[in-house]
Amino acid sequence: MKLLTKSTLLIATLSLFLFFIMGIIFFQVLKNMSKANLDRELFDLKVLVEDHIENYNANHIIALPGIDSLSIRLVGLNEQAEEVLGDTLMYDSNENQYKTYRYIHFYSVKGGAAYQVKIYKSTNPTDYLVERVTLMMTLMVILFLAGIFVLNRFIFANLWGDFFKAIDKLKEFEATKEPVILGEQDIQEFEELRQALERMTRRLANDYKELKEYTDHTTHELQTPLAVIKSKTELLIQSERLGAEEMKCLEAINTSVNQLSRLNSTLALLTRIENNQFTEKEEIDLNGLLEKHLDLLEEHIGLRNIRVEKHYHHEPIVLFMDQGLADLLIANLLKNAIIHNIEGGSIRLETLPGKLIIQNDGQALGFNQEELFTRFVRDTRRSGNFGLGLSLVKKVCETYNFIIEYSFDNQQHIFRVIFNS
Amino acid sequence: MQILIVEDEASLMESMVSYLALEGFRCEKASDYHTAVCVLDKHDYICMLIDLNLPGGDGLELVKLARENQSESGIIIISARNSIEQRVEGLEAGADDYMVKPFHLSELVARVHSVARRTRMKGGEVLSFGAISVLPDEHSCFVEKKPVDLTRKELDMLMFLMSNRNRVVTKESIADYLWGEYGGGYGSYDFVYTHLKNLRRKLQDAGCPDYVENIYGIGYKFSLDKKS
Repeated sequence: MKLLTKSTLLIATLSLFLFFIMGIIFFQVLKNMSKANLDRELFDLKVLVEDHIENYNANHIIALPGIDSLSIRLVGLNEQAEEVLGDTLMYDSNENQYKTYRYIHFYSVKGGAAYQVKIYKSTNPTDYLVERVTLMMTLMVILFLAGIFVLNRFIFANLWGDFFKAIDKLKEFEATKEPVILGEQDIQEFEELRQALERMTRRLANDYKELKEYTDHTTHELQTPLAVIKSKTELLIQSERLGAEEMKCLEAINTSVNQLSRLNSTLALLTRIENNQFTEKEEIDLNGLLEKHLDLLEEHIGLRNIRVEKHYHHEPIVLFMDQGLADLLIANLLKNAIIHNIEGGSIRLETLPGKLIIQNDGQALGFNQEELFTRFVRDTRRSGNFGLGLSLVKKVCETYNFIIEYSFDNQQHIFRVIFNS
Repeated sequence: MQILIVEDEASLMESMVSYLALEGFRCEKASDYHTAVCVLDKHDYICMLIDLNLPGGDGLELVKLARENQSESGIIIISARNSIEQRVEGLEAGADDYMVKPFHLSELVARVHSVARRTRMKGGEVLSFGAISVLPDEHSCFVEKKPVDLTRKELDMLMFLMSNRNRVVTKESIADYLWGEYGGGYGSYDFVYTHLKNLRRKLQDAGCPDYVENIYGIGYKFSLDKKS
């Protein structure tokens, strides 16, 4: 959920709840006030009626201003009771419906006779007032909520704008690029965030640069000593005076130094890709590229009796990339499919517009699938390779924003490269 | 049979000189740019091996200078730099071949032979070894005048072995020479063995004695006086 949505929802729920409580209280207070008002009027009328009974003939009082309905009855002196205030419903034949009335019942004594007086007053006008006021209140609440909604957006854009900008910049950040630089912030918390972010990303970029330089220098500096060891070993092998034991030692040295120099040149290659030293772009036909590499790998495929099934797309699929990197990508994917194949297994190649699928028989990975494309991760059951091939593949894919996916299904390793992303 | 080596790493220089001496080459050594310029005209070199990273100057300039002075010599750049741009730059400067350090000495010898052949003989030359004759320009091979049908790789392998006659060549160097970047990293060099086996069989079927000797699993030796 977005910050804006969340905060708007929170404010709306809270204010609705508050308005509801407040509304109930307000309604009750208003009702009580109007009731008290009516009662006061009834008492005033009572005094007026008593006055009339006292001074005039009780039977002649039919109606007085402010009284909606009045009844006066002569009762026995002993029938007198306490005065009563109450609510009642009365049928209004004009409007054909029941209406609520507030009434007062009291007894008035005059000259040995007692009168029972009932005064009724309609609650209609006050009810109407309460109703109107409530309606107004509701309308105001709705307006208020709408105002909050708009205001919240406005405040958000103002207050959090820099924050969102920082998020966007962070998303774009990669260790290979420049550290994130945000402008000075006038909000203290954001200023602290900015400082922390800049420090962190600067450090990341710096660490990355140092690591890259280190690899760069190491691989370069290793080349000469490796060349010396390699050549001296080769010279030594030519010696006629060496026996089988010495030759065995030399073979081990020779194998290791060759592995080491291969490792070194692969690391140098990775660094060169990272340094963006492959910038030439040309149109390359994927099907042709695959054919070329299958040709170059013919011996390796034949040696293990591997079958190659080709399902090429009928039209040429054109990639726009550096020839060297294209070779690297395909060579390493095919090499991988050969090395991790089984004796007499198969490789299935499928090309589709913008897509390459390479499938090969093999055993399940001996390690976590997520680590497949990381450096130096390899199947420990196999020796002689360093697990750098797939990290080269990944590096090439990263360079061109290709997507590479791996899955293992039905004893088959499946690699998918999606070119147009 | 003079070769000029321009290389600032003394140890590597010594290795090259010793190995080339086994092949009968005499070497003129120069360890920096100025020495190299001084000895550039001293002999009529078959081949010049020039490192690009030199004290006192740029190896590429030296390549251009050497090309002007001795148009008949082969020039091989030996460099630690390995990118397509640098290769192209080196070849455009006038080099005939480009080798990336670290390399196999046996490969160096094979390339020296090949460059020397291309620049000196101008084709039409016959390489022979015992009963075998190879016409490199026509990609054909004969055993006692009888043609032998070899694949391109088998012929390359044969020529590599002939260039390094009487030397032990390692499996790795054969793989690197014939398959380049596709040679290594497969966990084994069995494909070299398979290929060599096919080559030997074809030669023997044509009536050629087996000149290949297996040396302690480290590699092979191609010689007339094979110890069986």
